[in-house]
Amino acid sequence: MEALGFRDEAADRSAIVAQNSLQLIAFSIGEQIYGVEITTVREIRAWNGATPLPNTREFVRGVINLRGTIVPIFDLRARFGDGQTSPTKNHVVVVMSVGDKWVGILVDAVSDILTVSKDDIHPVPEGNSLDTELLNGIVTHESRMVGLIDLHAVVSGAKVDG
Amino acid sequence: MSDLDDFKATYFDECSELLLELEEQFAAIEGGDRSNDRLNAVFRAIHSIKGGGGAFGFSDLVAFAHAYETLLDKVRGGEIPLTDDVAALCIHSNDVVADLVNAARTGVPLPPEYGADEKARFDALCSGDDDGGEPIEEFDIDFVPVMVNFDDVSEADEESADEEMVEAEADSDAGSDEPAVDRSGQWEVRFRPHSELYARANDPLLLFRELASLGQMTVTAVFDEVPPLSDFEPFGVYCEWQMTLVSPTLTEAAIREVFEFVDGNCDLEVVDLGSIGKRPPSRPAAKAAATEAADDGEPLPSFADLADTVKASTPPKQAFIPIRAEPMTVKPAVVGDAAAAAPAASEGEHRNGVQSIRVDLDKVDRVVNMVGELVITQSMLTQQMDDNLRARYQELVRGLEVLAQTTRGLQDSVMAIRAQPVKSVFSRMPRLVRELAQKTNKKIRLETIGENTEIDKTVIEQLSDPLTHMIRNSADHGIETPEKRAAAGKSETGVIRLSAEQAGGNILIIVEDDGAGINRDKVLQVARNRGVIGPDQQLTDEQIDQLIFAPGFSTADAVSDISGRGVGMDVVLSNIKKIGGSVHVRSWTGRGTRMTLRLPLTLAVLDVMLVRVSHNPYVIPLSSIVETMQTARAAFERVPSGGRVLQVRGEYVQVIDLCERFEMPSSVDEKNRFVVLCEAEGSVKIALVVDDIIGQQQVVIKSLEENFESIEGIAGGTILGDGNVALIVDVQGLKTGTLHRNAA
Repeated sequence: MEALGFRDEAADRSAIVAQNSLQLIAFSIGEQIYGVEITTVREIRAWNGATPLPNTREFVRGVINLRGTIVPIFDLRARFGDGQTSPTKNHVVVVMSVGDKWVGILVDAVSDILTVSKDDIHPVPEGNSLDTELLNGIVTHESRMVGLIDLHAVVSGAKVDG
Repeated sequence: MSDLDDFKATYFDECSELLLELEEQFAAIEGGDRSNDRLNAVFRAIHSIKGGGGAFGFSDLVAFAHAYETLLDKVRGGEIPLTDDVAALCIHSNDVVADLVNAARTGVPLPPEYGADEKARFDALCSGDDDGGEPIEEFDIDFVPVMVNFDDVSEADEESADEEMVEAEADSDAGSDEPAVDRSGQWEVRFRPHSELYARANDPLLLFRELASLGQMTVTAVFDEVPPLSDFEPFGVYCEWQMTLVSPTLTEAAIREVFEFVDGNCDLEVVDLGSIGKRPPSRPAAKAAATEAADDGEPLPSFADLADTVKASTPPKQAFIPIRAEPMTVKPAVVGDAAAAAPAASEGEHRNGVQSIRVDLDKVDRVVNMVGELVITQSMLTQQMDDNLRARYQELVRGLEVLAQTTRGLQDSVMAIRAQPVKSVFSRMPRLVRELAQKTNKKIRLETIGENTEIDKTVIEQLSDPLTHMIRNSADHGIETPEKRAAAGKSETGVIRLSAEQAGGNILIIVEDDGAGINRDKVLQVARNRGVIGPDQQLTDEQIDQLIFAPGFSTADAVSDISGRGVGMDVVLSNIKKIGGSVHVRSWTGRGTRMTLRLPLTLAVLDVMLVRVSHNPYVIPLSSIVETMQTARAAFERVPSGGRVLQVRGEYVQVIDLCERFEMPSSVDEKNRFVVLCEAEGSVKIALVVDDIIGQQQVVIKSLEENFESIEGIAGGTILGDGNVALIVDVQGLKTGTLHRNAA
């Protein structure tokens, strides 16, 4: 029973830590660093081409086969309006779950796993609607700005007619 | 709590099945089949609904089902003739039961006296003999399985019944030489429920009540197997019961019958104490054995020898059955003189039941998907074999051939698992037609053909709504009133024919009526008024007919509660399209209308032609391809819009260049491209221009919507042998999409 009590305490402690902090997968697009909560990430794979989807916006790179299911790939650079990425084998697709769907995000590289405190998350400065639309907040990590991606916003409006 | 919810969910699932079964049985009964098998099936269904309902405390449902069951029992016993009136009452009562089940499921209460009329009619019908009313309170509602107390089981009834039986026994015993012995009429029943019994929402208490109604009963719970608390599993079953029953006329069959509904979910031992150690056996045991032998052909081993002796030697036994049946018909179980037949029939069914299992559809789907992948891998392997390899590795070639065969076989078997006869949908239609006929004051007869045609289960599920709409449409708009029909020289009764057949890789479901046909002038006028088509647009008859599928379209002068609101036929179209099918309508003025649903045999595997558009692979369903040709040999003509049309054997066909359409640059010289001539809905052809034709193969359809959204002109995706994704061209979607674009 004592051992059990010990475990409980440990669990409590980690729960307290978990409550106040957030683990992020950080990835880069050019010089800029962005992050998503680590629990949404399903896997990270190297870019290996995608089948283009007709009649979609330029940030939809197409679909890939992920072990038998078809997963769409979004080009985050293009989503931010910086033109399409010219992907190489060194580019990375981060597969994440958004609601009950799986999507892949094409980024330049995955850089780190960050633990940040929730208290350090700042709101996105109002100004450019694209920023406030696509980012949930901004955190500072080692004096660098990390934009927290709003995945729901990133994957919306993918169709030309929609 | 969630476990109880699980049980409830299971119970409601079963209710839906049982209600469907009721529907089927009554369709047959209405069709003139009044055999006892049908009634027994109906009775069992109602009884199961009642039993489960009791366990969950759905008092309204139980009370109604009980009254209904009482009536059914009398009908089955021949006390009440199954007239059309009674059948109609029953059919109506099925609805009431369905509503009550639904109310129990949703928790939305029905009006307080719901079903009271029907119940009053049951009672009126049953009151022909006074046994009819075992007071419903006895079959109580919110029991909590705490203690076993049988004192409240209608003893007055019981005793008088017992007396009668005793007299009967005495009467028939008069001619017999064997005096009754001490323990004759004493039975020991050991009952050990399995956990499934509880999982199916059966309550042993109900069984005990019923047993107690058969005679004097004592019951002992046996707790020997209750484990120490540390090993105790919450859902384990550790209790069994031992009962002794005393009744001179009791038979083993009667006892086992009580447990009929839990057969296979419990261990049951029935021992006739009277027969143990005594020879010749006392009458009840002998009779039980004889019944067993006669009904079953497979008597219990311990009774086998007895059965043989008795079968030859007991002439008066037949006299028993009706006598004991009399007082028992009031009991809510399968008793009465039908009991003689019931065990045989139901046991047969139980045996069938064991041969089928209930499987989560998801699990089947997973197998289907994997088999699909296997088919693709297999075809990829076969493609890799060139002549060189074939010559060198003959064993490998042989192996691959066997693999191909086995894969095909596996695929067919898996598909067969999912296939179901369309009967399950068709069987709902007779009553729809009946109701529609009543509401519209028309005379309509429904004919169904090919209801054993099998289609994939998912297709079947999607079929119910479209068919309902189509039949409504036929009944409301197609079939004329009897007066009009008579004036037109037709029989007063209109016919709607519903048929299903397999045609190649498709299933055709046809709804035909011999009504007035589509009023094309009116359709055209309405379509123009509503802006569905342009004011000057000229359409062929067939195109006009097809307009009834346009959204918001209705020609009904008055909106009835049957149809006319303009929702309906477009729902048909969209539902059918969703499952990869098409709808086609043809009409003959004054002679009727035929609507044809063309459905894929399966949703999982598709025969396709693999083509290239720009640098990307696309597949076109083979079922929609008419022919292919090189662009160099195709007769294109320019039209004012700037587009092209293709002349094929005197017919001009719209051309869609997939490269243009999908906004991708063509990768080859114009004259080296290919034209794929496809057929969309209603035999409308369109010509798709692609960069290259790669070949034919089978693919597994993957949804784009699962992780993305649907895209116009694309029906889904598929994974090729090299692991890349190819998109499936939606021929019909391209066609309608183009119409919209040009209109915009």
